Amino acid sequence: MKIKLTFFFLLFLSASFAQQEFTPEESKELLGIYEHLDEYIPDDLVFTNEDGEAVNLVSMIDKPTILVLVYYTCPGICSPLLDGVADVIGKAEIELGKDYQVLTVSFNEKETYDLAKSKKKNYVSQIKREVDESHWHWMVGDSLNIAKLCNSVGFKFKREGDDFIHAATIMVLSPEAKITRYLYGTYFLPFDVKMAIAEAAQGKSGPTINKVLNYCFSYDPEGKKYVFNITKVSATIIITLALGLLLYLIFSKRKKIHHKIV
Amino acid sequence: MTAISQPRGYVNFYQEKRGLMSWLVTEDHKRIALMYLYAISGFFIVAFCLGLLMRLELIAPGRQLLDPQIYNQVFTLHGVIMIFLFIIPGFPAVFGNFSLPLLIGAPDVAFPKLNLVSWYLYVIGGLLALSTLLFGDGPADTGWTFYAPYSVKTGTNVSIAVLAAFVLGFSSILTGLNFLVTMHRMRAPGMTWFKMPLFPWALYATSWIQVLATPIIGITLMMIIAERTLGIGLFDPALGGDPVLYQHLFWIYSHPAVYIMVLPAMGWVSEVIPVFVKKSIFGYKVIVYSSLAIAFIGYFVWGHHMFTSGMSGEARIIFSILTFLVSIPSAIKVFNWVSTLYKGSIDVKPPFLYALAFIFQFTIGGLTGLVVGALAADIHVHDTYFVVGHFHYVMFGGTGFAFLGAIHFWYSKIWGRNYNLKWANIGFSILFVGFNLVYFPMLVLGMMGMPRRYYDYLPEFTLANQVSTVGSWIMAIGLFIVIVNLIAGRKGPKASSNPWGSVTLDWTHTESPPSLYNFKEIPTVTRGPYDYRDYEDYIKENHKN
Repeated sequence: MKIKLTFFFLLFLSASFAQQEFTPEESKELLGIYEHLDEYIPDDLVFTNEDGEAVNLVSMIDKPTILVLVYYTCPGICSPLLDGVADVIGKAEIELGKDYQVLTVSFNEKETYDLAKSKKKNYVSQIKREVDESHWHWMVGDSLNIAKLCNSVGFKFKREGDDFIHAATIMVLSPEAKITRYLYGTYFLPFDVKMAIAEAAQGKSGPTINKVLNYCFSYDPEGKKYVFNITKVSATIIITLALGLLLYLIFSKRKKIHHKIV
Repeated sequence: MTAISQPRGYVNFYQEKRGLMSWLVTEDHKRIALMYLYAISGFFIVAFCLGLLMRLELIAPGRQLLDPQIYNQVFTLHGVIMIFLFIIPGFPAVFGNFSLPLLIGAPDVAFPKLNLVSWYLYVIGGLLALSTLLFGDGPADTGWTFYAPYSVKTGTNVSIAVLAAFVLGFSSILTGLNFLVTMHRMRAPGMTWFKMPLFPWALYATSWIQVLATPIIGITLMMIIAERTLGIGLFDPALGGDPVLYQHLFWIYSHPAVYIMVLPAMGWVSEVIPVFVKKSIFGYKVIVYSSLAIAFIGYFVWGHHMFTSGMSGEARIIFSILTFLVSIPSAIKVFNWVSTLYKGSIDVKPPFLYALAFIFQFTIGGLTGLVVGALAADIHVHDTYFVVGHFHYVMFGGTGFAFLGAIHFWYSKIWGRNYNLKWANIGFSILFVGFNLVYFPMLVLGMMGMPRRYYDYLPEFTLANQVSTVGSWIMAIGLFIVIVNLIAGRKGPKASSNPWGSVTLDWTHTESPPSLYNFKEIPTVTRGPYDYRDYEDYIKENHKN
């Protein structure tokens, strides 16, 4: 058994080394999202916020954070994506600023913080409830920082003239700036976002309800969404009921039988 | 033996009320048990005939009388009826219902109305299963295991068959729950847990399996229906599902269910051997613990049905080891029964013959179980006739024989009359020979590599198949004699109230047939269930009172 386990361990190691060797070369040519789950955002990235202040990105991340990579002059998919983000901020049961924050970062190094500010105003007004807008950050940066950030999260884009070919995804980061979830598309279910935030918050003592949710739902990597874990939940219910019955039968008092005996 | 006439003015449970309605709305555990007996026997005979039909098809290579699709449907229906309608409910519903309250000194089960509900659920489930014959593309052709993704795709009436199994599951859960509460709450004064007879103990272990495991199959079967009707991808890979998940869920129930089938039969054997040996059972407590251990370990061995499903190597090794563990308590029981015979005053009567046949055939079933439970050997014989032979030795050779034995044992208690002992022995002998002729060749065929579930086979398998088919006719003749003798016994001589000289409460403290509430007054238990010291005086003493 020991030999077998060692063998598996070596196989596993070689597989992971192989990945490290080949991914960068291949990715030069590729577009889209290459998930880097469980990896951390480098802590030396500096971006400019919508007020023109230079800030260290990682130092801003003190709670679960949704990272949105767009560029503000995008004629295509970025607007629906930001609509989707504004929509889910309004709908999700979790509260912006308290449970999480949103970081929108432009990957076009030519864009300025003035543009970021006007875009922020535009999208914040779309949120259909009262929120503390200071927790939705809109950033711009230079090409080096952008490249580092995008590589660290596996976001591969390509410049075509003034525009870019890129994917629409939001990423969820833990308070320690670890990448914990990718959610794809331009429309997000409030539930999926809530679950992703709850998961990202793990390690910090989150509210109990989140723990229950985490137990009952699991992430389906194929479908890229959360699914109800029917087997786990039903097993728990069945075992609890049966144990309850046993304990009841053991500890409750026997009643007298009042049967008429003929 | 101890022929004591019934007291004057005595009214048994048949005489209490008469007419059809007195049966259909009865809350009496004995009547409900009999209604189960008739329904279950009817289904058993149907499925037995389907089995004969399959053996007839297999009398020679090539097509005889069934085309492949019909053959698939026949073996599925045979399996579904035998498993869900005969062998799972059989022992608990018939003899559990009839004898449990008598054995523990209770006037009825804890929830008599619920008991009746379980019977109706059973009948509805049975009718649903049979209704698949009548419309659409006919009964399911998936095998009784309903393996996905085929069960999701086939055009046959899988949804209804699955729904039938679901309804039957509820019947099973309710019966289990009822028995648990009955045993916890209604044992006669003085009957401590370790003075409770072993058949109730076996039912106790069984009931926990029914309550804990059956909901899993219910949920799993509902998932199949959801996938078939709503297209939710659970098991079909084309929809993003996982077929191996189905196998896991199915066997998490169905393996413990094997113990639902066999544990009560083991309990009955433990009950009946002391009676015909006139000696206390060897290792009473060990038998109790082994029943509980079988029920418990039985939850952790399901993976041994899936050694070839592509499960990880580690999982297969672990499941194989756990499977070996479960054989220990089973073997303990066999050793204890055999030890009980030692220096006993053996009286060979038909029920005792069935108990001996159980021990013999269950031992073969158990030992072949070790072969299929061993990972390496199973890869070789998986899905061959070896497996078919193995589980028929356990299920039919074990539980089926015990079921017939139990009818012979409690016959005079149920009907107050006795069957012809000579014909009972003849019927038993023919049945025993026929049974072994049918199934032993299957073990050989499996070793030779004949796969199961085909209507056809290669010519080199012909001889063993013909032996098996001829055996099936002998077995049918034996069963016919047994059944006719049992029916004729209804008009046989009146039986005494304790013809076997047993010292358990069902025989010592009730009349045959018992009264509506079983006991004149609830007895106080002072001695162990198998205490045969001065048993003749003890029996006489109690009948005077």
